[in-house]
Amino acid sequence: MQSANMLLRKIVRSSVLPFAAQHGMKKDLFPLSRSLSFSLCLKQDKSCEPSEKLDLDEWKKVMKSGLQEEVSETVSEFKELSGLAAARETVDMWRLAGKAVPESISEEQLKTFMECPSKSAKKKYLKYLYLKELHKKNNKRKMDEKRQRKLEAQDQASEMDETKRSPFVCLWSSTMDKAYNWRAAQSMIFGQPLVFDMSYEKEMSVREVTNTVSQIVMSESCNRRSVDPFHIHFCNFKDDSLYHREFVKSYREAWDKLLITVTDQCYTEIFPKDKLIYLTADSPKVMKTFDHDKIYVLGSMVDKSIKTGVSLARAKRLGLETAALPLEKYLLWSSGAKNLTLDQMMHILLTLKDTADWKKALEFVPKRKYCGFVNKPVKELRKTLDLINTLKFGKGREEVEKQFAKNYPKR
Amino acid sequence: VQPPERPLQSEEWNKLREDFQLPEIFEKVMLNSMIRCNSPIDVAKSLLSDLAKRNGDITYNVLVKYLTLCVQQGQVSEIRDVYDIMKVRFKILESGAYNLLIRGLSNSDQWTMALTLLEEIKKVMVPSRTCYQSCIKAASRHQEMELAFELYKEMLAKDVVPTLDVLQSFFDFSRGVKGAELQKELFGILLYLRDNQIYPHKTFMRSIKLWFESIPGENWRGRLTKIKDSGQCPVCNHQLEDSNLTEEEYSNLSERIIRDVIHGTDTFRKTSPEEFEAFQTFVEKRLPFDIVIDGLNVSHIKSRKMQCENLFDAINCLAKDNARLLVLGRKHMLMNSSNWKRETMKEMQNKAEFFFAENISEDDAFLLYATLRSGKHCRFVTRDFLRDHKACLPDSLTRHLFRKWQRGHQIVLNQNVFPVFFQQPAFRYDCVVQTTGDTWHIPYKDVFEEKYSYQVPRNWLCIRQKL
Repeated sequence: MQSANMLLRKIVRSSVLPFAAQHGMKKDLFPLSRSLSFSLCLKQDKSCEPSEKLDLDEWKKVMKSGLQEEVSETVSEFKELSGLAAARETVDMWRLAGKAVPESISEEQLKTFMECPSKSAKKKYLKYLYLKELHKKNNKRKMDEKRQRKLEAQDQASEMDETKRSPFVCLWSSTMDKAYNWRAAQSMIFGQPLVFDMSYEKEMSVREVTNTVSQIVMSESCNRRSVDPFHIHFCNFKDDSLYHREFVKSYREAWDKLLITVTDQCYTEIFPKDKLIYLTADSPKVMKTFDHDKIYVLGSMVDKSIKTGVSLARAKRLGLETAALPLEKYLLWSSGAKNLTLDQMMHILLTLKDTADWKKALEFVPKRKYCGFVNKPVKELRKTLDLINTLKFGKGREEVEKQFAKNYPKR
Repeated sequence: VQPPERPLQSEEWNKLREDFQLPEIFEKVMLNSMIRCNSPIDVAKSLLSDLAKRNGDITYNVLVKYLTLCVQQGQVSEIRDVYDIMKVRFKILESGAYNLLIRGLSNSDQWTMALTLLEEIKKVMVPSRTCYQSCIKAASRHQEMELAFELYKEMLAKDVVPTLDVLQSFFDFSRGVKGAELQKELFGILLYLRDNQIYPHKTFMRSIKLWFESIPGENWRGRLTKIKDSGQCPVCNHQLEDSNLTEEEYSNLSERIIRDVIHGTDTFRKTSPEEFEAFQTFVEKRLPFDIVIDGLNVSHIKSRKMQCENLFDAINCLAKDNARLLVLGRKHMLMNSSNWKRETMKEMQNKAEFFFAENISEDDAFLLYATLRSGKHCRFVTRDFLRDHKACLPDSLTRHLFRKWQRGHQIVLNQNVFPVFFQQPAFRYDCVVQTTGDTWHIPYKDVFEEKYSYQVPRNWLCIRQKL
């Protein structure tokens, strides 16, 4: 190690220093920015001698000349990089190499970066930061543009100088808030309970918890805006858990004023067991209708690594009834996992509650995941499809079956 | 973009740049296509000179691309120049440039510089396996075997998996060299192949063979062969290692399967504690079984037949010689339905033991447990590769054990010949690199032959010492 280091220094010195010495004499000839003056001088050369032969190593001189002064410093101050500084250097070099790396990176992020166990984890993390930065920038740009347009519009409006008359004072958003809160307060007393099971923190990574919380925040807001909101319960909720911290981060002061019930008790302690239905995609039972007397439980979990059967295991342990959405019955599934995000579940449940219309409710399943909606159950459809295919191709039946087996595995 | 064939003047580059739709990325695109077309290095140089004149600077990205071109053409002095420039400009480099520099320099007479570069990388990150590969190959090419082995060990210590290329180079460059120490190291590599169940490819195998035969005064002879199903080598009549696990391995594996596969993080995920207990008492009462059958898997073998008929055929086939059978199924099989006829089920239950799990439980976990519990002679029938269960095992050592055990104990029914019933013979011998001191048996794969992870090569290299 030591000897290698020495060797390295020797190489650097031997290759660069003579060069620096050579050019040292010219140093006072170019008092200003070296590269600039150099190129200027080259251009002049050209103009007087147009037929000059191309100097292919010109660029090397330029690259080296611009830096002579710094060279001696860096060589003498060559220090072992350590810890954060080294990490920052690495990130900088990756950026220069044209990889997806954010422009600015905070100390905390650097630490997370260093804790990543592998190179690919590091790259992934940086890419995530990079995309985040990009989104932020784009949003900012859009906001600026919007503000600009608004200002222009205002200018025009003031030119027209036309006053509008309206019987209402313009206080829409706060009035709406009041109305929503009134409804939510009513739901706290009379509404149908909906439970979020907050006991999955151990199964998730930090980022998954963050995603979970943002999904719950979205579902809470859409619940508040609905005509007949659920009475939301957060059960198994521990103070000072990661969930809690993330909630406070996104709600700030509003966290204490939310019209929901938060408890560290389990739902089985609050509600009678026979009324609870645990919703999980792994359930063998398929939900037929939305029951207004039951209490549905949603697992507050984002599992990017598809941990099959975690929430089913929880329901089994507690001896609860389970159910899955009848996705296969109504949708021709194409791709993607059958677990939906919490806000999608909330939309679906709210729609079911209001209309009991599966078609309307399942509109909230992302379009990329299914090809179409079927009125008849897929099983019946399959029979007719098979019949058509046997009539059409004779032998193509097996193919079709295989296709179906792929899309609808036997459980 | 088509790169020009000769170096261009600034004006000509300017013209090209103006014709290009996106002038900002002109250099990037141009250099990329130069790399692709392997253009003369002078053309790239003229582009760089033009760039330097325009901006007074050349970005790192462009330098790396130029470096790629130099490395591709083995222009050592250029590589050194670029390195000097980079070294002055930047405190450290990123892995792409380091990889290129090392690759470029290790193939030249300045290969020691690659070693110093490797030292430099180690200060900031773990060098990639290609870096190590270049350095090791360079060292062994110059007969610095000690140094090469030092790097190789360092690589293993850092959990960088060596390429087969590196391993092969050790054999290639040690040919004809005598030395007890060296021989020990090379045997160590063969044992590394054994421990990690790696199979060399054909050219690698040839290197091994040639090395053995070149050791002066030791009289090794190698021959290519195929091992008989009995596990005997046709060349030297040596009986290959048994595929059975040792007592310790066996108990270790069954313990791990119960702990990690069946229970895992939560027993409820695959079964429930009550059910597992019931199953355990069921199995203990009736031990030992000879064959354990995954009922549902077997019943789907022929889609044209009724599921219970499929299972019935399989049981009839396997029930020869008073073998004790256990069939694992799910409760829904007991419901009289179009696929599961009650009478057939009754008849089957006379011929074999049945255990019906809950419909939402995983019967594979039970399959593994029952087979392991019955002892070493017991085999199991399923077409499932059990990959998901193998994945539940936390370390590679246990996974290797699992795969070895699986190879020796899994019977796969072939759906085409069934019910005449072709059983893939569970391997009697263990398919790994093995030695007895004066013989070596090394399985290898053809380079062109596609091999799935569950398949084992059928070709072997038999090496023995004639005294």
